[in-house]
Parts: sequence; C-alpha cells; structure tokens
Amino acid sequence: MEYEFHAHRITGGIGADDRFWESLEEGEFRLPRCADCKRWMWPAHFRCGQCGSWEQLWEPVEMSGRIYSWTRAHYAFDRTKERAEDVPYVVVVAELPGADGARVVGALAGPDSGVRCGVEVRGHIDPPSTKSKGYPAVRWSVVD
Amino acid sequence: MVNTMLRGTTAVVGVSDTPWYKRGTSGEPALKLALRAIVSAAEDAGIDPSEIDGFVSYGSERNDGQRMMPALGTKELRFGALVWTHGGGIPGALGLAALAIVTGQADVVAVYRAMSEYRGRRLRVDVAQDDTSPQHLVNGLDSPAQLCALRSMRLIEAEGVPARTLRDMALASYHHAKRNPRAIGRDTELDAETYEESRWVSEPYHLFDCSRENDAGSAVILVSADRAKDLRQKPAYLLGAPMGAAAGWGLREESGNPYWSAGFQGVADRLWADTGYGPGDVDVAQIYENMTGMGVSALIEHGFCTPASAGEFVTFDNLIAPNGGLPINTSGGNLAEGFIHGMSLVGEAVRQIRGTSTNQVPGATLSLMTGGPGDPVVSTALLADAAAL
Repeated sequence: MEYEFHAHRITGGIGADDRFWESLEEGEFRLPRCADCKRWMWPAHFRCGQCGSWEQLWEPVEMSGRIYSWTRAHYAFDRTKERAEDVPYVVVVAELPGADGARVVGALAGPDSGVRCGVEVRGHIDPPSTKSKGYPAVRWSVVD
Repeated sequence: MVNTMLRGTTAVVGVSDTPWYKRGTSGEPALKLALRAIVSAAEDAGIDPSEIDGFVSYGSERNDGQRMMPALGTKELRFGALVWTHGGGIPGALGLAALAIVTGQADVVAVYRAMSEYRGRRLRVDVAQDDTSPQHLVNGLDSPAQLCALRSMRLIEAEGVPARTLRDMALASYHHAKRNPRAIGRDTELDAETYEESRWVSEPYHLFDCSRENDAGSAVILVSADRAKDLRQKPAYLLGAPMGAAAGWGLREESGNPYWSAGFQGVADRLWADTGYGPGDVDVAQIYENMTGMGVSALIEHGFCTPASAGEFVTFDNLIAPNGGLPINTSGGNLAEGFIHGMSLVGEAVRQIRGTSTNQVPGATLSLMTGGPGDPVVSTALLADAAAL
C-alpha cells in the first residue's frame, strides 16, 4: 500500500511511529507493545527499555478513554497555519486504559463545552488532509 | 553528600546582556550580538576577551567558538560544547563550564546565547530546532506555549493548583520590570484585571503568561574560585548545577510522568544534595518561565511548596522584592525584561549576589537559577556569596 503521509514526512521527535500512521491510513488504531515482555511502549521506540527486545507488536486498541489534559488554542502558530480558520480549537490528550494508560493526542471533534480532565472520550480516524499536514489523524469526541 | 569538586570551586565573574530589541529590529545578526555580549562580559570581569579559551552554550545556538575566534583574538580554543536541551540546559552549561575549569581543560569559559531574526527565522521555530513530533504538528500543536498549556491545565484541573498562581507569577515579573530601565516590559502596567482581560493564547495561558521574543545576546564568564578573587567584580560562586531527567521523563511526548512536571524530579534533589542547602535557605530565585505555569511547577519541584500549598506560596506579595518570602525574576525575567532563551536570568542571579539588581534583595547570599521547564532534560543552579561557601 502507498501511504500518503510518506510524501509529507515530518522529521521531528523519536521517529519510530511509522506503523502508527500507516495503521491509521488503513483505518485501524494500533499502538505498539514489546514483542517479548508485552509492555505497551508509547511513544513508540526502537528498543524495549525493560527487557531489551528490538521487536514490537502493533495491536489494535479500542479508541476509548478519558481526557488526561487539554488546551483550547486561540492562535494558529507558524507550522499549523492550516488551522487558522478553526481557532479557537481544542486539542485533547486522551489516556487509554486499553493500552495501559498510553496518552494519545487528537484534535477534538464536536462540541467542546464539556471538556475537562477526566471526562470520557471516544475516538475516530480522519483520513489524511491538508489540515493534518498530509497525515491521517485521531479525533476525540466527548461522550455524553 | 556535598559535591566537593564542584561546590564553590568556580565563580561567575563577568556578566553582560546587549540591549533588548523587539524581535527582528536589532539590525544585527546573532553572531554579532553574541560577540558583543561576550566582549562586554569579559570587560565587566576585567579579562581580555582573547583569554577566553572555553565556549559553552545550549539549545540551537549556532554561534560556536570557532566562528568567534577571529573576532575575539582567541589565543587558543581549548574547550567547547553545547548542553542538552533547550533552555533546560542553561544551568547545566554553567556546570559544564565549571567541570572544564576544575579538570584543567580551560581557564576562562564564556557561557552565552544570542538570537536574532535579522537574516534569521522566527525565534520559536529556531529554538524548536525543527524537532517537533508529528504527533503534535498533525494535531494542531506547534508552539511551546501550547505544549506547556497542556501540562499546566493538568496542574490546575487534576492537582488542584489555583489558576491564580499563574497570574501572580506574571504580576511579579511585570512589577519587577518597572524598576529595570533595560526591561522591554517596563512601561506595561499589568494588574489582575488587565491580565484576566488579555486574550488567550492557549488555555490556561493568557497573553501575559507567555514569554516574548527578542533579538539580543547574553553572556557570563566563569573562572576558578582562586582566580576570581583577584578580578574586578565580587565573585558569584557556583555551588552546584546538576542536569538530568528522572526515569519517567526524557523525550516522551505526552506520556511523561508526572505530567505537570517541569522536569526537575530528581534534579532539584541533587542540587540540594550537591550544595548542602535546601529551598528554605534560598534568598532569591530566577525561575525560567517560558510560560508562567511551568514556573509554578518548577517551584513545586524544587520543594518551595507542594501542589496542595502552591496556592498559599505562589502569591504576588510572596514573590516580590525586597520583602517577599521568595522574590523571583527580579529583572522582570523572560516575561517582562526580555527573552534571550532564558540566558539573561543567569546575569540577574549574579547581580543579586553582587548587590546590584534594580530589585535587590537585601543581603542576598544564595541565588537560585532554574533552567527551562518542561524540557526533556533540565538543569538548575545555585550561586552564592563567599559568606555561604
């Protein structure tokens, strides 16, 4: 499969999360865990610091969790100008019990009135778009 | 146990900042501003700039020693390095300079930082070193203001620290800037109402919670404690400057613990162990506040208060010179004096020991400077008058 995000590569960070983005483009939400000791490893990395294994399994995880933190951005900075028309927009860090509390970032979809730490959210996947810089993206919505 | 190799064996003997320019208006490239700051810091110390044989900086500093040698008349460059990571590395840069001196690798070390948008990029892009993760950029997170906002929101909503502490950090900085003729924010009348009514940048941060961006250069000169005694200025002895990251920290995007941390878990404890002092002994502190909330986290992690007592400790009255329990950011700091990636906080920490701050804390003998909060690796430093050695 050809992945669209490859053509829009962002090079910062650790850089071990290609499989994450590929899975999203395939319509699946997968997170990595160590192939040997089965520890969830997020953010993705190249080696398990616990047991020393270099192999990871990318397993499907339920897109369901709680808001660990959030911010309402009132200004679109230089490298995220694509969102200028959306300000103010809310970005959520969701904590996922299905992956030992891994925290995954996503822009909020839907109304933002109930946003607060601890509130339940559910996720969906948006296909690559200009807004998400040619990458697919996780979106979180508050569960009523 | 106290670190006898590094405790009080070196001193800051020269400090200087160039004038502060609104970003993009200095008309001079960063290299020239770095040279100006270093030459002037050497003159402050009474040392010829050609004698500087060590160069230490941090973050994305591009004005390395080799580039400055011809202009400084450097007799020999014997030591040079960049310390991890961004502003988190400033006290660590002092520590590395001290390490070079006590191990005989250099005699006169400049620690410095210069930034300019003249022929350069927007500072926040320059400082970020294009190292922002796709997990952030894809989801509309770019600026440190937004990333720090996430941490401070957790501090407020989950740890119960009052949002008012952020405001009081800002008010204290702007209050101090009024008496500092060099401060960019000296004419800004900031009161609680103006703060609350200012626009949001990224909640919980208002405009006044965020540091500004300036063109400027800032430098300090370190030498051995022996040599410091014979120089022009009263020495500010370096008692300790540990750097590091605890097991749950480092580059972990949004999965670091504790999430609200400024990164000083373990690092602050080592500062107290290395120096033999504790938070109750500190007379004055320069708390790197890229954003106010991260400064609150830094105060908590240095043991000045807990999340539960932060509301009591972090008040305007307690944070201002001369009589507050812990006067902070007495030059106006990154918020109100100006932002040269935090470096000018070192100069102010030194001026408090010299007794020459425009918001002097009477008899200050222990002066703290904490590095850029929230970085994957941070550092913190304690400077002292001879009486506290």
